[in-house]
Amino acid sequence: MPVDPITLTIDDKEVTVPKGTLIIRAAEQLGIEIPRFCDHPYLAPAGACRQCYVQVEGQGKLQTSCTVAVAPGMVVRTQNTSDAARQAQVANLEFLLLNHPLDCPICDRGGECPLQDQALAFGPGESRFIDAKRVFPKPVPLSPLVGLDRERCVLCARCTRFCDEISGDRFLELFARSAGERVSIAAGEDFRSPFSGNTIQICPVGALTATPYRFVARPFDLTSGDSVCQHCSAGCNVRVDVRRGEVVRVLARENPDVNDAWICDKGRFAYRHADAPGRITTPLIRDRGLEPASFGEILPWLAERCRSGRVAFLTGGRLMDEDYYALSKLARTVVGTNDLDHRRAFHGGLAEVVAAAAVTDRERSVTYRDVEHAPVILLVGLDAEQEVPILHLRIRKAAARGAKVFVVHPRRTRLHDVAEHLPTRPGHEVFVLDRIREGVDGESFEARAAAALRGAGGSGVVLVGERLAEHPLAADLALAVASKTGSRFGYVTRRANDRGALGAGVHPSLLPGGRRLGVAGERAEVEAVWGSIMASEDGRDAQEILQACADRLVDVLFVIGADPLRDHPDAALTRRALANVGTLVVQSIELGDLEPFASVFLPAAPAAEKDGHVTDWEGRSQRIRPVRDALGISRPDWEIFAGLAAAMGSDLGFETLEELHEEMASLLAPRAMPERPNVWAGAGPPQWLDDLTLFTYPLLVDEGRLSDGAEELKAALEDPAFAEMHPVDAEKRGLADGVDVRLTTAAGDATVPLRVTEHVAAGSVFVPFNQPGLAANSLLSGRSTASVTVAAVDEGSGPEAVPDAALATGPAA
Amino acid sequence: MSLWFEPRLTRDWDDPSMIGLDGYVAKGGYEALSKALAMTDADIVDVVKSSGLRGRGGAGFPAGMKWGFVPRDTGKPTYVVANFDESEPGTCNNRELVERDPHRLLEGMAIAALAIGCETAYLYVRGEYLWQSMVLERAIAQAYAAGHLGPDVQGSGKRVDVVLHRGAGAYICGEETALLNSLEGFRGQPRLRPPFPAVEGLFASPTVINNVETLMNVPDILVRGAEWFRELGTEKSPGTKMVTVSGKVERPGNFEVPLGTSFRIVLEELAGGVLGGRALKAWTPGGSSTPMLTAEHLDVGLDYESLAEAGSMLGTAAIMVMDDTDCVVDCATRMVRFYAHESCGKCTPCREGSWWATRVLERLEDGQGQAPDLPIMRDLGTNLMFRAFCALADGTASVINSSLQHFPDEYEAHVRLGGCPLKVEHLEEVPA
Amino acid sequence: MVFEGPLRADADSILARYPEDHRRSAVMPLLYLAQSVEGSVTREALREIGALLQITTAEVEAVASFYTMYRLRPTGTHVISVCTNLACKLRGAEAVFEAAHEATGVAHGAELSDDGLFTVHEEECLGVCDFAPAVQINFCSHDTVSPERMRELVAGLRAGEVPSPARGPAFDSFKAASRALAGLEEVPSA
Ligand SMILES: Cc1cc2nc3c(=O)[nH]c(=O)nc-3n(C[C@H](O)[C@H](O)[C@H](O)COP(=O)(O)O)c2cc1C
Ligand code: SF4
Ligand code: FES
Repeated sequence: MPVDPITLTIDDKEVTVPKGTLIIRAAEQLGIEIPRFCDHPYLAPAGACRQCYVQVEGQGKLQTSCTVAVAPGMVVRTQNTSDAARQAQVANLEFLLLNHPLDCPICDRGGECPLQDQALAFGPGESRFIDAKRVFPKPVPLSPLVGLDRERCVLCARCTRFCDEISGDRFLELFARSAGERVSIAAGEDFRSPFSGNTIQICPVGALTATPYRFVARPFDLTSGDSVCQHCSAGCNVRVDVRRGEVVRVLARENPDVNDAWICDKGRFAYRHADAPGRITTPLIRDRGLEPASFGEILPWLAERCRSGRVAFLTGGRLMDEDYYALSKLARTVVGTNDLDHRRAFHGGLAEVVAAAAVTDRERSVTYRDVEHAPVILLVGLDAEQEVPILHLRIRKAAARGAKVFVVHPRRTRLHDVAEHLPTRPGHEVFVLDRIREGVDGESFEARAAAALRGAGGSGVVLVGERLAEHPLAADLALAVASKTGSRFGYVTRRANDRGALGAGVHPSLLPGGRRLGVAGERAEVEAVWGSIMASEDGRDAQEILQACADRLVDVLFVIGADPLRDHPDAALTRRALANVGTLVVQSIELGDLEPFASVFLPAAPAAEKDGHVTDWEGRSQRIRPVRDALGISRPDWEIFAGLAAAMGSDLGFETLEELHEEMASLLAPRAMPERPNVWAGAGPPQWLDDLTLFTYPLLVDEGRLSDGAEELKAALEDPAFAEMHPVDAEKRGLADGVDVRLTTAAGDATVPLRVTEHVAAGSVFVPFNQPGLAANSLLSGRSTASVTVAAVDEGSGPEAVPDAALATGPAA
Repeated sequence: MSLWFEPRLTRDWDDPSMIGLDGYVAKGGYEALSKALAMTDADIVDVVKSSGLRGRGGAGFPAGMKWGFVPRDTGKPTYVVANFDESEPGTCNNRELVERDPHRLLEGMAIAALAIGCETAYLYVRGEYLWQSMVLERAIAQAYAAGHLGPDVQGSGKRVDVVLHRGAGAYICGEETALLNSLEGFRGQPRLRPPFPAVEGLFASPTVINNVETLMNVPDILVRGAEWFRELGTEKSPGTKMVTVSGKVERPGNFEVPLGTSFRIVLEELAGGVLGGRALKAWTPGGSSTPMLTAEHLDVGLDYESLAEAGSMLGTAAIMVMDDTDCVVDCATRMVRFYAHESCGKCTPCREGSWWATRVLERLEDGQGQAPDLPIMRDLGTNLMFRAFCALADGTASVINSSLQHFPDEYEAHVRLGGCPLKVEHLEEVPA
Repeated sequence: MVFEGPLRADADSILARYPEDHRRSAVMPLLYLAQSVEGSVTREALREIGALLQITTAEVEAVASFYTMYRLRPTGTHVISVCTNLACKLRGAEAVFEAAHEATGVAHGAELSDDGLFTVHEEECLGVCDFAPAVQINFCSHDTVSPERMRELVAGLRAGEVPSPARGPAFDSFKAASRALAGLEEVPSA
């Protein structure tokens, strides 16, 4: 029984719904579909298209069912039982079709178009309209991704309301009025929103179309599969449309627990990667000139090397839960190493462990729903729009419901219009957190944030981004803020399945379920399921593994679904490591940048061809199913691990997914974590040294592998590399906006154009991680920050010497 | 001309000094405000309630009741908005009221503000009334200087600010929720109701919106009392109403009459009869959005009830007179073209229907009409009436329905003759 | 830059009319102010107004294009608005409208005359039905205008005369009227 139940009758059937429900939604519960165009369950009622008329007993005029809330005892008649409602709907359809071009045969929407469906269902057989239709130039490109065909538009304003209410990227507006009203962007501007594709999907006609999909397929040509987006940790539910084996379109699938009805443009438009030219579908052996081989040949060869040599595993955040679990078990029980890591990079060891452990505890962890209903949200070290775009939308939704949002970040984020923002020098977030933890008084940002969280009645939310984990104490502090204010705590990983990897223990010191290798009791819990773990010493993390490779201390390095050359924040070290390691095994879907270094390639299947689970930032594990068959003899990663174990004369204990799931379940069940003493003792005010800290993180659309082939997406949203600097710092150095500058760090130097902007904290210099023109890891030495000097290019390297790199992340413990 | 009643709103129209503060004060101006300051908010609302003053902007909603709806415990400010958008074709009484007596509007606004505890009142003036808005700016400055407006109204310690805001050419901005959007810096498209402005209006705060003429009645009601106000007019339509008469009459103009006065008196006594002594053919009682009536309705009383009974509405009491040389289809075409031009674009029937109706009507008037056009017009009337988001489209439908209802033969003749049966011959007789 | 120097001060004074957290209300007077500088609202002005109000250019243009008194295209020095709505039509407004076109040389459907002096605008009801046909020149009212009077008015404007309106002061150009519409013109004392 819903809260505040209201019972009413629709078409003579009784239904009980919560107070405030709109008639159109109540009818849906009875399976009665009232036609609509402007109505959308995630947008505020508009009542604009006037298609959804119903008759409400006692009301003289017909009512629009999408704007009227139910009332007790209400008697509603839809088109099914009211001639008046039906007549009005037919008449309205006639109005809508007056100016509609009826170019269905060449329209992308043909076959899946609500207007077409309505017209077919009860449109008049012929048109009484004999005058000239309204014409507009067609189609108008709104961006490299979105085209607008104004003649088809029914002016339902879904797209403009999406931009206004949901994304806040108000590029699309209704211009003019009366019959001249039209959807438009400002002259000379682009629809530059990372959520633009949603407007295409919710357009009830073919007015907004996707450039990459235009004229590509008819709906009846497509086979569709449900999946979960692999581009970030948001866990968005998607539908993947395949035409003759090729992915041609990705659509959002509604899930109110996760992505509502939205996805970002990267999720929607970056789908060509699995079909990119470098795709591999069989094992390849270097010694044979990268000729195709079979698993039967290659696995025994590899097994031999693993048995006799020192082995390490590097992976990324984009495999499935099952793959990670199998990898963790393979390393620990068959190969006998703890030298395995999934983390790209930015990590401070301990801190991330704490964070991971804390969120294994479902009680205090955060879900999208918690975010949506939170009265206060504190984000630290997280640029949600760029990192986990759908979380960004959920935070905006919370803000629209009245939540107070506080952001501590070195750069202004796209929450700026709904949040209070404290631009903080990278590394100094810990001081802010400490003051919030103390609950300082006064008028400061920290005081307001602390008071708001305390006043949130246990529903406040603290969200921490992965970069914060770089500071050894940051996670401690963030946790302390959460526990002191009774808030929920979320550690927001970035890549699709970082959480799955953490949970499975693809980590040098963590076992499945956040159990610590070094704590005998916790290790014993795992051994009870796995049998003995061969090495009990903490292994090497990613940076240490690369160092060991460089130092020729590793014989076999597995790089699994990762590209350390692009992703590891120490390009120079990575190159040395790859050159010096004895055998480099690349398990991947493609050749990629590692090709010159690889000894063998093992063909892994991409997500579109796999069955398994991914765990989003919330810790929610979602099943995905293959949308097409695996190409060649490529296989899911876990099967390759199982095959290797078998080749090594052992076995992982499961041969089917079902068996694997059964075993996993026992170790991955949520468990309460022991309290950790808070080790932060405070370090006084931040040291304000007159140098600049370079910081970096990946922007949503960059040169990352998964965006390969998404040319329209890049044209729409990708910027070439740049550096951002605060005007105060720029003035001090005599640097003007737009000039080329040379950035010099201990690791290297690079030349990029400068943007002088108040939107970056003073004392810091932002460079995006991987935009065209600069791979920022060439400037880094294993962290996301570095001391940097900046000078105009034509003046040489400037007067400053390279400063002490230790200052870069503030006071280390 | 001697009148049979004591004029109210127009009683000092002969006095040009009323445009200034001194003239207004000399005639007792701002005494009502002093009186209001000595009353409780509730008492002000009560007096206006018992006067029976109904909104003059078109809908005729009781003003006191509207003020009484405003919740006072929301923690948000409250607002008064004066609606001086006056754009209904044929209507121009608000303009002349302001030109001749601007301070009465300000005083009315200030009293309304006191009644609902509002500190900032907005005055929305249609952009085309540039001079009238400047008259008001000057009056506002004078009222501030004399302490009738501002932080300390007449030394009471109460604040009432008046902010003037100009529209920019959009009839729809007279609709109260579209007006609020316009005042907030958005496109002037109407808002969904509920929430009603009284609860969530300007800046999402409780708001009272009243027409200029409504507000200008308020000072007298406070000074002379509700009973005095009811001495003129009818039981359900008390008071006087400003009536604009235009079109084919000898003396077009604004006239004040007690509500319930018959159209015959207004036409014959005040407006000097039909121009050139021709025959009355059709007239709009309340602007072009009210169903047109005919010579049969000469004796209908100009009040809310009588006009409703006659199948029309008092609206803004803007009477446009058409004589026997005027083609109803031609006139309807022009009126519908107006509603098509002014449709805000938000909803389908209004945007598309008025556009289509204009095409069909123009075709009929040009002699291109065909037999199926008449049923199309009838359907358009049906499909526009009470179907749209706001009442603008009801105006379009009223023009179509009433002209078809009263002059079906004339429509048919257009089709039959392949053109307008009245056109051309009489054009040169129209005096410019 | 449109809003520079004294114009920036004007813009600030407009912003100050509205509550601090509702500055968006200033968009309409700011559009008039921009129009008073350039004779129409240019793209650059739309962008600058957006920046002042912290809204997007599209949001500003959405507003500007909704109302008929903002000109988004090149406009004559003088804007002649002729009401042809019913009350004026019944009094011969269509002939006045024709006369306006003829006298100014503005073709039907064209934005302005070849010499750039005139824009002719067909108006909906101007609220001067009692003095039909109603005409406004630069938003100053001229009552009961006949076609001959319209020709005289245009001839006067060509000769650099500023015709006295039926009420209120005369504005000698569309730009000057736009400045008054922004609420920045001194009001002559009564
Ligand atoms: C399309 C439309 C246009 C309107 N135009 C005006 C107008 O110009 N002036 C006015 O006072 N009311 C106008 N109204 C009525 C207002 O919405 C509102 O009812 C009125 O301002 C309330 O004031 P009152 O109660 O004092 O009449 C219009 C309504 C509609 C539907
Ligand atoms: S009826 Fe619809 S389109 Fe017409 S003005 Fe009202 S809301 Fe706008
Ligand atoms: S769906 Fe109800 S008005 Fe559009």
